[in-house]
Amino acid sequence: MRRIVAILLAAILLCRVTSAEAAEKGLVLRAGDLLAQPFIDAARSGPLTANQPVTILQRRGAWANVEAGGKTGWVRVLNLRLEPGPAGAARPGGARPSGGNPMSLLQTGSSGRTVTTGVKGMNEEDIQNATPDYAELELLGTLAVSADDARATATKANLKENTVDYLDKGRSRK
Amino acid sequence: MTALRTLRSALIACALLALPGAAQAQFPNIGGLIKGAQNVKKLGDSLRKIGEPEEIQMGGDLASVILGTAPLVQDAAKQRYVNRLGLWLALHSDRPNLPWKFGIVETEDVNAFSMPGGYVLITRGMFDRMRTESELAGVLAHEISHVVRKDHINALQGSLRDSALGGFTDYIGGAGGGLAGQFKTALINAGKTMYMRGLDKDDEYDADRMGVVIAARAGYSPYGLVGVLQTLSAAPDDKGFALMNKTHPLPVDRIDRLDRAMGTKLDGVTNVVEDLPSFVALREAPRAAPAGAKPAPRRGRRKN
Repeated sequence: MRRIVAILLAAILLCRVTSAEAAEKGLVLRAGDLLAQPFIDAARSGPLTANQPVTILQRRGAWANVEAGGKTGWVRVLNLRLEPGPAGAARPGGARPSGGNPMSLLQTGSSGRTVTTGVKGMNEEDIQNATPDYAELELLGTLAVSADDARATATKANLKENTVDYLDKGRSRK
Repeated sequence: MTALRTLRSALIACALLALPGAAQAQFPNIGGLIKGAQNVKKLGDSLRKIGEPEEIQMGGDLASVILGTAPLVQDAAKQRYVNRLGLWLALHSDRPNLPWKFGIVETEDVNAFSMPGGYVLITRGMFDRMRTESELAGVLAHEISHVVRKDHINALQGSLRDSALGGFTDYIGGAGGGLAGQFKTALINAGKTMYMRGLDKDDEYDADRMGVVIAARAGYSPYGLVGVLQTLSAAPDDKGFALMNKTHPLPVDRIDRLDRAMGTKLDGVTNVVEDLPSFVALREAPRAAPAGAKPAPRRGRRKN
């Protein structure tokens, strides 16, 4: 029973992700082709111009399924940026930040220092004024896992290791 | 052995601080060492000689600075998850044996940091914006690449030039005292500057390029990082991205550089995942301490 609930919950969550992703608005970086399938030699569905707005329907590795100018097709993810806008809007799983009062701060009794309540940002001034926190460093040390643990987790998740050479910078377009 | 170690530390100090004039004034007998160091290797090469213990010690001090601005997220499941993923990725880098430590820090701002010796910290704002595990893998692998390439040492060098020379030996030797303290203060200040200004821009492009390969080696889509860069590209003026944007090249430029380097070269690597069910479950799990709520008392922290 519990298992079924968990599966249902996972399914609902996955649906949310898909629908939220559908809301992403992108812009084409370089003129090129909209392709019928996610392959380099796939048939051409139509032209794409630089800065053309697209709606990103789905991401699949190197490719994104997009709706552009009334047509649906595939484009390289490396040829897309997102339309400037509220940063949180694109996040999967729905609404982002907004919750919480950014002004809610807490004074610590010991140092009089202002500490976060979980809604604070981290800007230059925060770093400039930071006092090194060695208690947190110690805590960080306790969180580390062993290589065996990491390997076992990866094996359980069925992750496959690949042999991949480092990349050179490639050719300049200019 | 101890003498050798001291000598090595002194050489490193000379290389790191590159202040022969002041050094000679302060420590008359060290001039010979400097000449020796200069004769054997160029300054840049000598910097690469900083040993692992030195890196780890410096990294710990620098990690404490970031942790001083944002403490660790109190969510053991998430912290363990990023440590397992992070170490799995690091095992596919050129420095698998560093004592890698990963953490999520409590701030809404979107950012990620790394320190010499294997420290990687990602903000909760960044973690929460990950569409998939391969995106998280991309971010962690980018940071791992900075550590592997020792980009921080490169960035710190300039700032440390003005600091006390002899202190480095005491700092590394654990002697404590005035000179070690002076060096530590200088290091922390240099670290703050580094995290406010960012690393060399070319080092960012290089870390992107190395990061996607590390992710692919570990079984993740190398395009995860591209998704993150797209997220960043949507928020040029968002306050939560301000420091991230200031310290990195434009996301669109990073995408462009990656496109040039990657092309379709990695399309043949098909044994990769974009996401894992475990990550979907983790990401959507209710937070232990909801944002805006009064935080639970911090462990190991005295009250009043």
